[in-house]
Amino acid sequence: MKRLRKRHWASRALMLLLALVVLAPIAITFLYSFFSPGEIKAYMAARGNYDEAAWMDVKLSPDMFSPGQYYEILIRDTSVLKMFVNSAMYAVAILLGQAAVIPMMAYALSRFEFRGRDAVFFGILMLMLLPFQVTMVPNVLTLRQLGLLETAWAVILPMWFSPFYIFLLRQFMVGLPNELFEAAQMDGAGTARCFVHVAVPVCRPVIGAAAALSFADCWNLVEQPMAYLSQRQDLQPLSVMFNQLVDESSGTEFAGAALYMLPALFVYLYFLEDILTGIQLTELK
Amino acid sequence: MFRKKRSVWLFLLPGLAGLMLFYIVPFIGGIWYSLTDGSYENRFVGLANYAAIWQNEMFLLGLKNTMALSLICAPLVWALSFVIAALLNRLRPGGAFFRNSILLPYLMPSSAMLLIWLLLFDYGGVVNRMVAAFGGERVMWLEGAQLRVPIVLLFVWKNLGFAVVIFLAALQTVPEPLYEYAELEGAGFLRQTFGITLPLIVPSAFLIVILEWINAFKIFKEVYFIGGAYPDEAVYTLQNYMNNMYGRLNYQNVTTAAYSFALIVFSLFGALFLLQRTLQRRFS
Repeated sequence: MKRLRKRHWASRALMLLLALVVLAPIAITFLYSFFSPGEIKAYMAARGNYDEAAWMDVKLSPDMFSPGQYYEILIRDTSVLKMFVNSAMYAVAILLGQAAVIPMMAYALSRFEFRGRDAVFFGILMLMLLPFQVTMVPNVLTLRQLGLLETAWAVILPMWFSPFYIFLLRQFMVGLPNELFEAAQMDGAGTARCFVHVAVPVCRPVIGAAAALSFADCWNLVEQPMAYLSQRQDLQPLSVMFNQLVDESSGTEFAGAALYMLPALFVYLYFLEDILTGIQLTELK
Repeated sequence: MFRKKRSVWLFLLPGLAGLMLFYIVPFIGGIWYSLTDGSYENRFVGLANYAAIWQNEMFLLGLKNTMALSLICAPLVWALSFVIAALLNRLRPGGAFFRNSILLPYLMPSSAMLLIWLLLFDYGGVVNRMVAAFGGERVMWLEGAQLRVPIVLLFVWKNLGFAVVIFLAALQTVPEPLYEYAELEGAGFLRQTFGITLPLIVPSAFLIVILEWINAFKIFKEVYFIGGAYPDEAVYTLQNYMNNMYGRLNYQNVTTAAYSFALIVFSLFGALFLLQRTLQRRFS
């Protein structure tokens, strides 16, 4: 049989090149995490040389493979590890809260008719547009009133109601066929049973996608800890550390970065299918 | 659709209460701050803060840079992701590896990427080696206006994959026979892409423009990572301004700047939304 499809070698080559360029920074971070701390220190110190004759070496293999950086951050000095634990604490607390609040809200906004529904949805769309800094000051004042400022809750609580994830789940649920819910109602299910036994299971892919995307957000927190936890060095997540390192190299920053990327990598691998099908089935049109 | 069910409030209430407490009440309450003078008596001054801030050089600089950066980032991500999705769509059912690799950065913390970025864009780094290899002059990427390049590239690196995936989902709704027919008629890849694909996925394409633009308006992390809290004036964004004013406890300036910005964003996206509605009516 004659092949109808062409092989598209040029497109393939182009995409391969792109994929390599995109993956290279991640791969290099992992590679550099196995350089010895001394070698990284020397390498980072070679930066910022504006001599026309000087180049930085392109290092693709270490003088000697060494777990030294990991030894430093995991055993010798655990300050990085502590921040890593903080990050994990934020991610878990935020995701649990979101799981309790957001699917219910999306369900109410998509499967019910009630007065003011469109107004609520419109409000959520508006909130989605605003950068964090717009509501930063009023939020600080509110959190201070509640006695939550300079505590971990200041970062966690507002994230439970993230407008984007309400929007994402609502868009998915709006597209579900009515028959699904009618059939359940015929069998005598009320609104709560419809939610637990119909809406949530059917929404599995988009809930997975939202969880993964939200995790990525939690894992990259910068603005919130800066504004809400300025006095609490002990509560900072790992994402704010890399900035403080760049001027003077500690020699262990690549192990820190690699350690930090590892959970994100697992989340990506675990939820990849959900993200793809979740986006494909959501009415983002 | 459930009608006249009281239980809706059960589902709605927790979320609504939180949104009120942490988003809507602060947003509305903050307006009062932008109308007072911040002194001990906290006098009402009307729109004087707004009049002042629209004369403030740093505010105007930040506004200009936020606009400029978003107008570079959003179209760049949009156009690149469309071309990549169109190419990947031709490789179906293969090409999953490429798609997955491009999506990976979306879940990666860009804070951890900062180290590599600083190495790549160093004066003696890999990017300048390539520039030199093509016969160009070395560029100081981490100084002055050139800072835009690493910042925009970090943004694109992270956000490209998500747009590609949305585009790919839209492309899969285009019926295959259309392409086969176009092929028989002798239309090449470009003709097919712009003649068949783009017109058929206008709604999704429009949505990606909006999502990317919203994202690009919020650009701050990338600037803060690479440029610091007080970056060069070519990349000093409104978010830098608001953060720094916050640091100096000048709440009046932060809120006034914030609501000025919110007003601009709302009217801009309101106009886009109306545009989409009229376009949709015309085409359907």
